[in-house]
Amino acid sequence: MTTYDPSTDYHALNAMLNLYDEHGLIQFGKDKEAERAYVTSEIEPNTMRFGSTAERLDYLIGHQYYDGDVFARYSPEFLDAFYQRAQSSGFEFETFLGAFKFFRSYALKSFDGKTYLEDFPQRCAAVALDLAAGDEHAAERYLDEMLVGRFQPATPTFLNLGKAQRGEPVSCFLVRIEDNMESISRGINAALQLSKRGGGVALLLSNLRELGAPIKHIENQSSGVVPVMKLLEDSFSYANQLGARQGAGAVYLNAHHPDIMRFLDTKRENADEKIRIKSLALGVVVPDITFELAKRKEQMALFSPYDVERVYGKPFADISVSERYDEMLADDRISKTYIDARKFFTTLAELQFESGYPYIVFEDTVNRANPIDGRVTMSNLCSEILQVQEPSSYAEDLSYTHVGRDVSCNLGSLNIAKAMDGGLADTVETAIHALTAVAEHTSIDAVPSIRRANEEGHAIGLGQMNLHGFLAREGIMYGSDEALDFTDMYFMTVAYHAYKASHELAVRHGKAFVGFERSDYAKPAGAGNYFDKYTDGRRSIEPRTERVRELFARFGVAIPTVADWQALRDEILADGIYNQNLQAVPPTGSISYINHSTSSIHPIASKIEIRKEGKIGRMYYPAPYMTNDNLEYFKDAYEIGWQAIVDTYAEATQHVDQGLSLTLFFPDTATTRDVNKAQIYAWRKGIKTLYYIRIRQQALEGTEVAGCVSCML
Amino acid sequence: MAPISVPRKPLKLIDRVSAINWNRLEDDKDLEVWDRLTGNFWLPEKVPVSNDIPSWQSMSEEEHTLTMRVFTGLTLLDTIQGTVGAVSLIPDALTPHEEAVYTNIAFMESVHAKSYSSIFSTLCSTEQIDAAFSWSEENEYLQKKAQIVLDYYEGDSPLKRKVASTLLESFLFYSGFYLPMYFSSHAKLTNTADVIRLIIRDEAVHGYYIGYKYQRGLERVNEAKREEMREYTYELLNELYDNEVEYTESLYAGVGLVEDVEKFLRYNGNKALMNLGYPALFPAEICDVNPAIIASLSPNADENHDFFSGSGSSYVMGKAEETDDEDWDF
Repeated sequence: MTTYDPSTDYHALNAMLNLYDEHGLIQFGKDKEAERAYVTSEIEPNTMRFGSTAERLDYLIGHQYYDGDVFARYSPEFLDAFYQRAQSSGFEFETFLGAFKFFRSYALKSFDGKTYLEDFPQRCAAVALDLAAGDEHAAERYLDEMLVGRFQPATPTFLNLGKAQRGEPVSCFLVRIEDNMESISRGINAALQLSKRGGGVALLLSNLRELGAPIKHIENQSSGVVPVMKLLEDSFSYANQLGARQGAGAVYLNAHHPDIMRFLDTKRENADEKIRIKSLALGVVVPDITFELAKRKEQMALFSPYDVERVYGKPFADISVSERYDEMLADDRISKTYIDARKFFTTLAELQFESGYPYIVFEDTVNRANPIDGRVTMSNLCSEILQVQEPSSYAEDLSYTHVGRDVSCNLGSLNIAKAMDGGLADTVETAIHALTAVAEHTSIDAVPSIRRANEEGHAIGLGQMNLHGFLAREGIMYGSDEALDFTDMYFMTVAYHAYKASHELAVRHGKAFVGFERSDYAKPAGAGNYFDKYTDGRRSIEPRTERVRELFARFGVAIPTVADWQALRDEILADGIYNQNLQAVPPTGSISYINHSTSSIHPIASKIEIRKEGKIGRMYYPAPYMTNDNLEYFKDAYEIGWQAIVDTYAEATQHVDQGLSLTLFFPDTATTRDVNKAQIYAWRKGIKTLYYIRIRQQALEGTEVAGCVSCML
Repeated sequence: MAPISVPRKPLKLIDRVSAINWNRLEDDKDLEVWDRLTGNFWLPEKVPVSNDIPSWQSMSEEEHTLTMRVFTGLTLLDTIQGTVGAVSLIPDALTPHEEAVYTNIAFMESVHAKSYSSIFSTLCSTEQIDAAFSWSEENEYLQKKAQIVLDYYEGDSPLKRKVASTLLESFLFYSGFYLPMYFSSHAKLTNTADVIRLIIRDEAVHGYYIGYKYQRGLERVNEAKREEMREYTYELLNELYDNEVEYTESLYAGVGLVEDVEKFLRYNGNKALMNLGYPALFPAEICDVNPAIIASLSPNADENHDFFSGSGSSYVMGKAEETDDEDWDF
């Protein structure tokens, strides 16, 4: 522990960002001072220096820091020039938090943790070289996109690539569990193995028989889903990625599963220790019928998954509860219990107040919008991945008798402001190539069902961030008509270039993803083809406002026309696309700090955000492009309110094949009814999933700390 | 831990029994504070303190000892406040609703006291825990502050009790709160800091409320009595401050934080006076605490935490309200 010295204490300088100066102004300069103090007093003296790139790479490869195979694919001359290019960028972090987070969590350090072996340009270079796998031109494109900050790969990719000691570059995994002990064991194995290697893991519990269901026809034997949740929670806390990232997991359950209330009660403030779930994330899969029942003020039936599987011959999750509701209700072979549908929604909201959970998947909306043959039954830890799966089956020794399909997803996000500055089209194409490269380099042998789906589908998730930052920079209010119009046009343009890039990849590889011919992409034009929405005139695909039309013209970004879409559709009908899934908009926590963006397409949580994480402690983060003169465009999410957020997401959702992490923000004066209203509104607007609920409580008048920026309304 | 072994007079709580009617409020503040306190209800089991084990293991022996001593000191104060302090305020209550609020305060203080134990049992060995508790019994400054406050709780002046109680809630706790806030701003023990922030969230309201009730009490006495109370308050604060400076030395000298903690003491001393309706005692120039600590003190629940590494200190109990037909009109 060192003695406190206010002049060089970068933590103190950073904290001054959250305190007004004597003129009542936000002290933005202090944060940059903190960044400089940190880099010059902490990083530079502890960075290992080398005479040349060759010397540096030799050392790092020779000492098992870098993976030699990555660099062996390039000539020494190329590498020399390549690192020159990276280092000459003059890169500096814009915020203290960005720098601190990068050096704490991403930069390569000596094994004893005391010496830094990489800076940001060098990390980008290693990632680019690994992604490009020997293609010099591609490596340069990847490097430029990352250095300028137009494209930022997700944490697992950016953290791991190029390193010799590393986890998987994949962000997240989704695994089904079926109603048998072998599948439960495999699920726990997947939780352990996948947490060891990388990202978050989500598991589907909807198929498990409920508490009191029969085992081998003997009644009242099963313990239901809660003990399985406990096992999973412990598995996740045991496994982490070389200490780099705590294992994290989510479980999903259908709203009509008989254990639904017990599932939710695990998050209660006063839950018994035996059933209390602390760190596992919960998600509830809600079909349309639940809303209909609540509207009609009726009871909702909960169906025994054990009985349903026996009657229909398939797992509960693979049945559409909305479609079969009346049929199952009338079938005496299926045992049922009832709860009040409105009470169910109230309970959901109560739990969200207490814990932020559960996430919600609007099952029928998701499946209506899903272009791929099959059924989506769950989402992932951040509720943006929505892909079809197929059950696996096992022998008694846990070997596979049928390898089904589960999900892995590689993510990366564009900084909307910088991508617009750069003309957008090339950035989208480069990002699609980079994400596909991650899919191609990945083989998750520990979970064969994931390996199979990745080999067949090359699914990726291109995300977006800094929407609020961009809008504010351009003097547009978040949630305004122009902002909604921009979001619509931007996401449509991104989708166009993403499909175009994936089509080119299909041509280059001479194949489409497996199952393309059964997807909506392969349906004839006008007969349910995915692109009909852009070509059949059901909506105008031009900007609604003059402002947005001008904006795209000013940045030189062309909005695709009906003719463009028709041509692309026909090319895709001929050759297919390489990636089964292309877009998913993640919440972008860490990477948006490094990239200096606002998170995802949310509004900012606060002008000066207070960020707390295990690895970095409590820090303060200014919104990008914000000055003391343009504060009016930086209203926070609580001021902006849920309706504008849902409206914004609804615009984007139309153009995204998977999902978007949508957090709802409420002041603590809101009631469960307000939360329910927002959920009903989101469902009606065609939102696919809801992520966290965040609650902000203002200090009681008279107890606040004077002069604190984040405390001001 | 040995009990706080001061002989106590049997406490007579109330001499009348009338059913409490929350629909007839004499002071709206009672309901406002009651709502806030019940909405803030929490239990330590909510926070995954065990995620701090790697951080704890990376800390030095010196930091361990300091942390444990600080937390035993806080445990002692919370024990006093939970079992004696808040309860002793009940007979002085001006309204039945005020009594109800004190019962909540007393209960939550016991929750706080227990949460330190739950931090201990997660991070430390029994031997370490016992050593820290015996240190707390032997540290003269800690025992002295406990004694000073206890004496007033058992005295016969309702106003003095409130002063002592406010100084405890708004001033005496903070020499201990400094450390976890300092650690958390340096990326250490961040989940433990979540527990402490939940405690601060409560204490901020407790100090404010008791101070508020003190000011209502002052309105009922004559000018001479008011003057006496004013003098008494500053005297008691000075006495406690001198003791607190010694206590701070005994804790923080080894780690070079004494000066900054003392600034923090003065800052909170002024805050306590403000709660009691008095002007500041210490000039602002000698209260310029490390901004990282000040900025982390805000009792607002607005931290944007990372769900991968903790549960945060921002959630509150929700107010259930049924939806009605118009909400479902689609």
